[in-house]
Amino acid sequence: MKSAAKVAIASFAALALAGTLAGCGTGSGDESGKLELRVATFPPGADQAAYDAFAVQEKQFEKLNPDIDVIGVEYEWKAPTFAAQLAGGSLPDVFTVPFTDTKTLLENGQLMDVTKEVKDLGYADKFNPIIIGEVQDDDGNIFGFPRQAYAMGLHYNRDLFTAAGLDPDQPPTTWEEVRADAKAIAEKTGKAGYATMTMGNTGGWQLTAQSISRGAEMQKDNGDGSYTSTLNNDGTKATLEYFHDLRWEDDSMGDNFLLDWGSINQEFAAGNLGMYTSGSDVYTALVRDFSMKPEQYGLTVIPTEGADAGVLGGGDIAVMSPKIDDAHKAAGVKWIDWYYMQKLLNKDAAQADAKALADSDQAVGTPVLPVLDKATYDQQQEWIKPYVNVPTDQMAGFFNGIFDQKPVGEFKGQTQPIYGLLDNVIQAVLTDENADVDALLTKADSDAQALLDGQ
Amino acid sequence: MTVTDHPPVVRDALPPEPPASVAPRRRRKRNPATWVRGGGLSNLIFLAPMLIVFTVFSWSPIVQSVIMSFQKTNLVQPATWVGLDNFERVLSDPNLGTAIVNTLYFAFLALLFGFPIPLFLAVLMSEVKRGKGLYSALAYMPVVIPPVVAVLLWKVFYDASPNGVFNTMLGWVGIPPQPWLQSAATAMPSLVIEATWAAAGGSIIIYLAALISVPPELYDAAEVDGAGIWRKVWHVTLPQLRGVLFIMLILQIIATSQVFLEPYLFTGGGPNNATLTILLLIYRYAFQNSLGGDYGEATALSLMLAIFLGLMSWAYFKLTERWSTN
Amino acid sequence: MEHQLTTSVSSDAAGRRALIGDTKPRRKKVRKSLDDEADRGVLSEHERRRGGVRASMTGVHVVLFVGLVVAGLGPILWLAKAAVTPTQDTLQHPFELWPNGIDWANLSTAWNDVHIDQYFVNTLVIAAGSWLFQVLVATTAGYALSVLKPKYAPILNMAVLATMFIPAVVLLVPLYLTILHPPVIGTSLLNTYWAVWLPAAANAFNILLVKRFFDNLPREVFEAAKTDGAGPFRVFWSIVLPMSRPILGVVSVFAIIAAWKDFLWPLLVLPDPAVQPLSVRLPAVQSQTELDVFLAALAISTIIPVALFLIFQRLFLRSAGLGGAVKG
Repeated sequence: MKSAAKVAIASFAALALAGTLAGCGTGSGDESGKLELRVATFPPGADQAAYDAFAVQEKQFEKLNPDIDVIGVEYEWKAPTFAAQLAGGSLPDVFTVPFTDTKTLLENGQLMDVTKEVKDLGYADKFNPIIIGEVQDDDGNIFGFPRQAYAMGLHYNRDLFTAAGLDPDQPPTTWEEVRADAKAIAEKTGKAGYATMTMGNTGGWQLTAQSISRGAEMQKDNGDGSYTSTLNNDGTKATLEYFHDLRWEDDSMGDNFLLDWGSINQEFAAGNLGMYTSGSDVYTALVRDFSMKPEQYGLTVIPTEGADAGVLGGGDIAVMSPKIDDAHKAAGVKWIDWYYMQKLLNKDAAQADAKALADSDQAVGTPVLPVLDKATYDQQQEWIKPYVNVPTDQMAGFFNGIFDQKPVGEFKGQTQPIYGLLDNVIQAVLTDENADVDALLTKADSDAQALLDGQ
Repeated sequence: MTVTDHPPVVRDALPPEPPASVAPRRRRKRNPATWVRGGGLSNLIFLAPMLIVFTVFSWSPIVQSVIMSFQKTNLVQPATWVGLDNFERVLSDPNLGTAIVNTLYFAFLALLFGFPIPLFLAVLMSEVKRGKGLYSALAYMPVVIPPVVAVLLWKVFYDASPNGVFNTMLGWVGIPPQPWLQSAATAMPSLVIEATWAAAGGSIIIYLAALISVPPELYDAAEVDGAGIWRKVWHVTLPQLRGVLFIMLILQIIATSQVFLEPYLFTGGGPNNATLTILLLIYRYAFQNSLGGDYGEATALSLMLAIFLGLMSWAYFKLTERWSTN
Repeated sequence: MEHQLTTSVSSDAAGRRALIGDTKPRRKKVRKSLDDEADRGVLSEHERRRGGVRASMTGVHVVLFVGLVVAGLGPILWLAKAAVTPTQDTLQHPFELWPNGIDWANLSTAWNDVHIDQYFVNTLVIAAGSWLFQVLVATTAGYALSVLKPKYAPILNMAVLATMFIPAVVLLVPLYLTILHPPVIGTSLLNTYWAVWLPAAANAFNILLVKRFFDNLPREVFEAAKTDGAGPFRVFWSIVLPMSRPILGVVSVFAIIAAWKDFLWPLLVLPDPAVQPLSVRLPAVQSQTELDVFLAALAISTIIPVALFLIFQRLFLRSAGLGGAVKG
């Protein structure tokens, strides 16, 4: 009897200990008397160097704010985990979300109101008005700090261009040239000449970007809170037929058609892919998380066709959970201001940030779009020039062309679910030679309208 | 091992005798002292672990899921009652039909591959005289590999390029490269082949164990009647296994209707929803949308699946009862 | 080891038989190993001696052996090779042995960058805790419902049985909410192992298995013990538990395999990478890890359970040697 109890108690004690230890890893007990601030860092699997650079910045910040203990939390905005973390309250105190999610999040009361803080910091007026609009409710209250914006670009592998007898300094400027180059790469190197994302809503995202580059409008905002789906348009149809030809006539899209943001980056970084479209800022992740060799990288603007053509842009916003207390909120604002914003506004901060990144071999000078006004942006680019370590001459096509393109934001109604519908369309076209583009688009359009009406 | 040191199952026929102390206690007046002395307290102590975990982690979530299926909630704003809305929305979702058909297709293929092959192998292996242990270990190897590792490894095998592992092997025998996961037609069979490979070892071992318990006298008797090898398999072995076979069949149907890991990791439900299963659809409702899932729809669909599975399990119990009394 | 494998699995089958109420008396011979010459199958000794049968049996033998090696061992061997092969060789020539040399660095990169060791320990902790709680709940509940039998036992029995008809997926969302806001404790169990251990313990199948097994234990032993003045705790610890080793083996195998396989639930309740098991972690880092390093990570994750499997078998052998004491 005694032994029974002993064994039971001992095993319980051991388990309780294990359970508590596991809990401790994420608890926010502040034994040192400092305020613990949990902030989002990088996606899982990032380079050690990225963490080193973050550690340096963390130290700098803690030196300036000795009462705050910054704790970096691995974070990636990825639909399933984000939803679970959001519901579970396990998000870091400070995290980032893409523009497409902010409207719904702030309507649901899931973002902290920072109107006063933004005004107190004095840069409320400096934001690009289109971009600050992404984080404001109808009354003009501000719910986050737009920290980075990008435009879609065409990324290409210079080595594969050379191997296919193409000039890597003369990237394609029309979709027909893209097709010809993709075919050349596929024939000469056996690699995929061109590919596009197809999974986890990214397929719809990229299909939208390429449709817009052909003058498409995916959705009409009726201005009264309702939206009309216009997925079945000429630009989208042309895009899908273009994909059909690349896939089934030229066979220049490789063998893998189930790609998302991570896996297409992986294929590209590994040198298995000639060209794809993605945000212009992906270089940072390619080098940091996917071990891309910088000398292979090339970036140019996405080709545009027709008078209405535009370039899809997007970005993300540094936000805080509405559930944190005032002390954490104040600390969070300090962190956002210091970590994300000052480097856009202040010479010393910009240079210190650039230096910290450059010292640990992180990308400085990755092409982004200005979130603040153009003058501030140009000024900031000037400040960090000495530290720029990305191969800007390999991105010349982008820098030279981007400011001539018309920026277009992502459509607002049911963005992610409609992207999900479009995933299926692009997957069907790439995996079924006889896919009926018209029927697919008609169905997607009516499904999208049903989603929009269901709100 | 010790399994057979005492014959646990033989006594099933006898009705269990009630412990002597129970009957007299019933009539006695309720007071705490007699309750404790009568074993009431120790009963509760022994039941406590079960009561706690079942109440918190089984019974109340079941009730809660019924409630939630009539509510709309995103966990941030308070839940509101919406009646049968969730059920209506699920039933009118065009993906539901796709998911049901796909799940049935998976279950059908899984039975087609996963049922006869392990049985056939087990019958063959049971005839092996030497090194049967080695054979069993080899057959069981895939079961030891963590399932997630197995799926991720097979994803590499299924590389659709001509240099892919499986396509290279097909090339040896002159078959052109297959698209495997990259085509709506071949994606589901590819998932099933991996699932069968991963699970066959477990079934083989169970069949092997069942084959041992076929009484040899039956074979002797069949031989006296002049039965050949195949007739013995058909008329002795298989009938003797029917109980196990039946259980395995039902268990497999229950398991395959909840398939999730393979479509989630291999294809994410693609291409063009060709591998979207019911469970994946539930997962999408609840957790795919970054903006807080539709938990009402998710629980509504779960409940409908539960009713189907409940019927299956009920049939399983009823039928096994009949099998075992016959 | 091989003998142990088969016999331990036959205990598995015994469990299933107990479950389905198979009342067939089992042959005493089962105890003997599968290699036992006295054990006959479909083929008689006479048939085995016939030339045609003999030749085709040899053929079957060879085909079976080759087939099992290819299917059972092949993928593991290929993985072992790929783990130390540069990415491009694996992609271009999947079946050539190191055309461009062996890249041992993959293994250390995987170990250091992917932190297999940490996630493997997490996996073990999850499996061990799930096992302990499942065994604890199943044995105590089985004992109470089968042996102690309070008069409300049938109702509880029904309530437990009923949960078997509810697929786990129904519970996904409400259970997740329970983990976020557990009763009494008031603090979220998210990112703690309790969130995996405790729901796993609410397993009706285990209770049913154990209860059925206890139902079949000879009542006279309990009565005798009671007459000797043993209380319910003593009967449980000194009589019931030692007699129930076989069924505990079955429950343990089920519990550990289930914990090992579980993916969706830990994915939801353990969002913090520091506490995640391998099953959740490997898919998460796949796209950020180069293929050769990733395959090395998969190989390490495979080697460890395979090795443990072998060690586990030896331990089984030893405890089986001691296990004769069960009767005493």
